[in-house]
Amino acid sequence: MTEKKIKIVVAGPYAAGKTQFINTISEIETVKTEARTTKPGEKEKKDHTTVAMDFGRIKIDDEHTLYLFGTPGQSRFDFMWDILGKGMVGLVVLVDSTDPATFHEARRIINFFEARYPAPFVVGANKQDLKGAWSPEDIRTALDLGEEIKVIPLVATDKENVKRVLLELLEEISKYI
Amino acid sequence: MAIAGDLRIFNFVDIFQVLLKDKKDGILVIEQDNNNNIAVYFKEGNIVYIREVKKVFYIYLDVDFEVVLKKEGVDKSELYNVLVARLPKLLSLKEGKFSFTSGFIKYPPDLKPLIPIEKLIMYLARQLTEEEVERKISDLNLVFEKTPNYENIAKKAYLVDHEKRILHAIDGKNKVADIINITKLDELTVKRTLYGFLACGIIQREKKKERKIGFDLTRNLLNKIISKIKGL
Repeated sequence: MTEKKIKIVVAGPYAAGKTQFINTISEIETVKTEARTTKPGEKEKKDHTTVAMDFGRIKIDDEHTLYLFGTPGQSRFDFMWDILGKGMVGLVVLVDSTDPATFHEARRIINFFEARYPAPFVVGANKQDLKGAWSPEDIRTALDLGEEIKVIPLVATDKENVKRVLLELLEEISKYI
Repeated sequence: MAIAGDLRIFNFVDIFQVLLKDKKDGILVIEQDNNNNIAVYFKEGNIVYIREVKKVFYIYLDVDFEVVLKKEGVDKSELYNVLVARLPKLLSLKEGKFSFTSGFIKYPPDLKPLIPIEKLIMYLARQLTEEEVERKISDLNLVFEKTPNYENIAKKAYLVDHEKRILHAIDGKNKVADIINITKLDELTVKRTLYGFLACGIIQREKKKERKIGFDLTRNLLNKIISKIKGL
């Protein structure tokens, strides 16, 4: 039987925790397309970064598999957003709650998808366990989001947190089918 | 929870937007390298006082606003003039670390906002750079709609003529590109105005009634996915 792929995209600024998010929940080891970071401002944050996409997989039944695709965070890879946006059922936008510098990039990502691929989406306010984390409510305001968009606090290394974000997204999706 | 960051990346319009949204009380501190630290006192999302301090901890010595004024030798009747005199220096700051401490200071109940923060937001929005406006208005396909309370907010914001024209063109259908065409204004002016409108709460993103799901997802299949995720 041909496998039917259901696609959820996990987007967000550089170092927001997208690869970790997928790693935490995927049934397979996340397939990564990483390169060593060389740019100033990036290499201080992490050694490697996603350059095409990451993906994780969750088998639903004999016919269907849920794929979680992680987009590269830097805007120079935004052509990938276009490729990944096509055919997605929903979008998770992750932000680093401790770094307001990345909120602008998150807003840009939301603007991009809302204008072209307006699928149901939720925002994950990651790194809530760290000092200096902004509250989900303040992040919502900073991202110009209305009350109808869920902004969910999380720590991407915690499986229950990641499950909650996905379940909230699925609940959003259920409103449109 | 923190509200802190760097002014170079998160400007005053962005900060004021967050403080205005929940009508926050508290103190915004701007720390600069030269020890010229500025404390901005907020009541219900509006600026009520500005003071300069050499050491940040001085700010937190007093929890009563009337004591702060007494120490500074400022009478309540002079507050407006003091604020007007100190605002230009504050608003000209482009660098520094900011942090907002919620609550903390006790205000007298009769203290009213003297200058609407919406007016300051629009004033600052008119000066945003091309790079800054791209942070919020990054796509010409974006659609905005007026908020239910937009008329009252617009009054407080003291809109100028071209801003009123832009507001008129916002209807929940026109894209940013359409607004530029309709108003015949240049792109930067339109984007600056939309940036300010969003920060003030005059407009909001269009609330989408329909969303696209790129797969023939049945409720039965969705329930299977939910069960699977729950069981992981």
